[in-house]
Amino acid sequence: MIKLPKLLPIFAMIVLFPISAEAKETYIPILVPITGFLSLEGTAQRNGAIQALDEASSSLKIKYEVSDTSTSPEIAVTALQRALSRGKPMAIAAPIFGTQMLAMLPIAKRAGVPLITVSGTAKLTELDNPFIFRFFPGDAVVKVAHARYVTEVLRAKRPALLYQTTAYGQSGYSHLSKALRKAGAPLVFEEALAPSVKDMLPALTKLRASKPDVILLHLHSTPTALVIRQARNSGIELPIVAGSAMHQPSTAKLLKNHQLRGVCAETAASPISENHPKLIQFTTEYKKRFQTLPDAFALAQYDGMNMVISALKSGAKTAMDIRNWLATNTFNGLAMKYKSDGKGNMGHDATIVCYDGTTKTPKITKKYLNIDGTFN
Amino acid sequence: MLDISLQLIVNGISLGCAYALITLGFVLVINAIGAVNFAQGDFVMAGGFLTVILAEYVIADNFNAIRASGLIILPLVLIGMAFFGLLFSMIAYKPLKNRPPVTVFISTIAMGLIIQHSINAGFGPEPQIGPALISSGTITIGTLTISKQQISIILSASFLILCVGFLMNKTQLGRKLRAASQDSEMAETIGINGPQCISITFSVAIALAGAAGLLLSNQFFVTTSDGGLYMLKAYIAVTLGGWGRLDGAVIAALAIGLFEVIMATLVSYVVAEALLFAALLLVLLFRPSGLFAEAIQRRT
Amino acid sequence: MSSLYSRDFIVTLIIVLIPLCLALNADSYGQRIMTLSGIYAIAAMGYHLIFGRLGALSLAQGCFFGLGAYSAGLIGVHFELSFLTCLLFAVIFTALVALIIALPVLRLESHYFALATLGIAQVALLIAINWTEVTGGANGTYGIPQLDLFGMELSSSNHVLIFVWFILVIIVSLTFWIMRTPFNYQVTLLKDTPEVAASSGIDIGRWRLTFFIMSAIFGATAGALQAYTIGVVSPATLEFQVMVSILAMTVIGGKNHPAGAVIGAILLTHLPEWFRFLETHYLIAYGVALLCTIIITPSGIFGLFEKFIIKNPAYDLKILPSKENKSVSDASSTLLEIQGLSKTYGGIKALKNLNMTLQSYQIVGLVGPNGSGKSTLINIISGLQRQDEGTIKLDGSFIENTPSYKRSNRGIARTYQTSLRSSGLDVYQAILACSTNQHNLKHRDNQTHAILTNSRLTSKTGSMVGDLSAADARELDLCMALATEPKILLLDEPAAGLSSAEQQFLSTKIRQLAQSGISILIVDHSMDFLLPVVDRLICLDQGSVVAEGTPAEVLADPKALKLYFGNSRV
Repeated sequence: MIKLPKLLPIFAMIVLFPISAEAKETYIPILVPITGFLSLEGTAQRNGAIQALDEASSSLKIKYEVSDTSTSPEIAVTALQRALSRGKPMAIAAPIFGTQMLAMLPIAKRAGVPLITVSGTAKLTELDNPFIFRFFPGDAVVKVAHARYVTEVLRAKRPALLYQTTAYGQSGYSHLSKALRKAGAPLVFEEALAPSVKDMLPALTKLRASKPDVILLHLHSTPTALVIRQARNSGIELPIVAGSAMHQPSTAKLLKNHQLRGVCAETAASPISENHPKLIQFTTEYKKRFQTLPDAFALAQYDGMNMVISALKSGAKTAMDIRNWLATNTFNGLAMKYKSDGKGNMGHDATIVCYDGTTKTPKITKKYLNIDGTFN
Repeated sequence: MLDISLQLIVNGISLGCAYALITLGFVLVINAIGAVNFAQGDFVMAGGFLTVILAEYVIADNFNAIRASGLIILPLVLIGMAFFGLLFSMIAYKPLKNRPPVTVFISTIAMGLIIQHSINAGFGPEPQIGPALISSGTITIGTLTISKQQISIILSASFLILCVGFLMNKTQLGRKLRAASQDSEMAETIGINGPQCISITFSVAIALAGAAGLLLSNQFFVTTSDGGLYMLKAYIAVTLGGWGRLDGAVIAALAIGLFEVIMATLVSYVVAEALLFAALLLVLLFRPSGLFAEAIQRRT
Repeated sequence: MSSLYSRDFIVTLIIVLIPLCLALNADSYGQRIMTLSGIYAIAAMGYHLIFGRLGALSLAQGCFFGLGAYSAGLIGVHFELSFLTCLLFAVIFTALVALIIALPVLRLESHYFALATLGIAQVALLIAINWTEVTGGANGTYGIPQLDLFGMELSSSNHVLIFVWFILVIIVSLTFWIMRTPFNYQVTLLKDTPEVAASSGIDIGRWRLTFFIMSAIFGATAGALQAYTIGVVSPATLEFQVMVSILAMTVIGGKNHPAGAVIGAILLTHLPEWFRFLETHYLIAYGVALLCTIIITPSGIFGLFEKFIIKNPAYDLKILPSKENKSVSDASSTLLEIQGLSKTYGGIKALKNLNMTLQSYQIVGLVGPNGSGKSTLINIISGLQRQDEGTIKLDGSFIENTPSYKRSNRGIARTYQTSLRSSGLDVYQAILACSTNQHNLKHRDNQTHAILTNSRLTSKTGSMVGDLSAADARELDLCMALATEPKILLLDEPAAGLSSAEQQFLSTKIRQLAQSGISILIVDHSMDFLLPVVDRLICLDQGSVVAEGTPAEVLADPKALKLYFGNSRV
């Protein structure tokens, strides 16, 4: 004998009913990883997006909502489905994690909503999906700049690379090694590190044995700092050209000024290094609001959301209108000029920043503009 | 070449020492309640964050340079984490003490989630750096360069391990703790307060995790997602060392630290990690109860 | 019994179908969550078998989930095959991997088993991340086709939901079929008291292997479905997080019942969604909810539900026409022959070159001081321990290297000095579980009825084994031993703790059993009980026989007297 009526309310509770957004508001969900190993980058995305949307709220009625995509594509897809069921999103701030983007793309295409991301994974824009807009130069752009700086400016012939066994690291590795080979300076040493690796001396010992003239890093924030400190502490004074994680203020914070001497980083932009009044205003505002310094991901997401806002201001009524506007217009963002190359790659410039050993704010050393020739 | 090898060995030992502290706390809880404390790694991370908080609080310095020595903060971290251990046993163990160990296993998983995400929510996702134990400089002996931090990690970890050894083997309290963990009913009949002993064990275990967190927070920084890694290493060390054996666990933890560094140098990190698991499986295959004999009867 | 069993099945189906029906009206998000719940329920169903029912803490379920996702996903991307074909490949591949793992790992105990399975899962994760050419590396593989069924693409979330839950229903039915009576009782016995199960003829190794493989198959099915519903497979499916989720689902739902796996999966998949609005704090809320659930519900949520189900009624014992005993041959023959048996524990000789025979129709008493080797002897005969040297011959064939459960199948049964009790069974079920030599459920039922009718437990058939008094537990031990239809019955201190009336009942019963042709060996300290019952008495000291013969002969032997009764009585 089962007393079913007692069980029913419990089951009824389980199925949620959607709460739909008010019709007049523009609904823009922010789906980014704010927990797990990409939470640093994801939080920057979140902050950048929120700052842009809040600034626009004086003239536009925008409703946004942050949802965590954590570290798996499964959670990202669920978050997207949730966002789609809670209203009619005009655009979505989408995660930096490439694998999550790959899972979300077909659903966004079916729903007809543009995804605004800063993910560098090259594959994303190679799938002929008209709904992706990448406001960060992809690996195909930044890794070319990375390689060009190493071979043209530093005139290095024997680069050695440490990269991460994550989506970010593996994608960067394949583009960087290709670009270096093309430039006639193939890697003399390479090793993949899991993000959990703490002791960098084994890698540096082997690296040193291969007699490189420059150390390249393509690692996340903590491992980048670990390698640089260990290298400087063991007396390795070679120039280090790191990936975009090094430009993040939270990475530099982990190191002493003298350890940063001779360290450069590839990035799309470095908001804290710029002295353009608009950027200074952005940085001050951001610091006040989030108690932390902005990085290129925050700025790129900020620019991306601002381009969406421009589309809205110029009369976009539907998600499709916004998509079309993003696909055809040029936008002057704070970091750079954005224009789609027809596949959704919006950013085409890369920056190399270097630390001089006296301050944790890097100097902009070189800008590579229009690398893939979109503006020609 | 010799100096590099020596330097690598020092690195391996200092890593192993930190693992040993974590593992020691892990074993103490296993012996006391027969259950795996899955939040042990998260407590290491929490200890690291507590260190950072204290370091910034004790000296009102900005984040540019933290000069308070870790050695001054260490007792504070030990006390603070011991308190958390007490709280932890009250929340995650006390209500479940008459249930099978796997229930406690799950409640510690839940506690781990709570700790990790509370810190993530409160502190933000940025990695943090703790203060050096004494100073962050290096000592150069001939061609050998060793960081003072590593030497002080090895020394303070050894000191704490010896303290635990002394506590467990030479003091009345230690005898009580051991009696209570071997047979709590029997212990009760000879006047030992079992639940109190378990609370104390939790305090000691979590304090050790916190100490490890402090020791690691300078050299390896501290991030909220670090916990899982340390937990896994402790689990492996306990099994290799003979389930429930304190000495075995310490030796196994040291061996893992050395093994990782040496293998990563000789081959690669990926291979080192794979080999660690391969070695683990081989040991289990040929010595199904660990490298050293098991100290306690299985209870799960 | 079977009615109880089918009621269980119906309850589970209802628990599966109600949320499904509710979800059919939900929006695509609600349906997606329910689809995920269904997928995890399938994985948890497998885990409930190996961990919940068998008590083996496997940490490989997440690995099986990931292997299923990868193998189905990669085949789906590279070959144009239907989902069901890919699923089949994934299941076969994962089951093969599980089989290879099982060979070395399954014999490990508790924590070692847990860590070994965890180690294998970590190796799988390493391979997935670093074998970039095949797996796509950390990025994973993209472009897995949509689910399809007989050439039709299942594009609407409604269809996907129904498809996944249809597979769940199949998995639930399969689980119930595997766990059909009496196997459900045998597995419970196995989990609670492996020694008793082995000496009752239940093959532990076979069950462990079966359940490990089944958990792999269910896990792989879930993984394949997951890969197809999100179109991407990445190392995230192999992360330890998946394993932890499945474990938590199984325990919180109620690990002893398939319905628990379903409830746990539904709850834990929805839980984080309920707290989504908390942004970064939602996982704290999730942790707190998890902690509260585990504290409030001791046997999982289904444990709470079970309270709504009326307690099992006592069984009505059928009075069967007692069949005439098999042709009673009066000639007593040698059943068991032991020669040169030796056993040493760390330098101490427990048995020294011991020779002994047991005859049918005969009751033999085994006496001797503590540590004389009595229990060791019984353990070795029943196969619980192995001898160092010597042979044991049963019915003319050597069995000294045969595993315990096979000896039971061939007619050796035993009871234990301290009753080892399985808490999850009632008296009837415990006896039914031991009727391993009957292959037909009806025969098993009849036999159990017959054994119970001739026992002191006629009024306690529905009592839980754990609630029995010590004396009743001894009687149950004997009933369980009899259920295996033994030719040789080894009783280890059967009269300890019995009242004199109960001892009287036992003596009569033992004599009746001997008259039906069973050979009985009794170890007991109580001479008052032993002497009137036995035909022959063997006196052991320090692992050797010091005196042997009829009770009267042994009592007349000064060596035995001195040894056993000390000097006081002489």
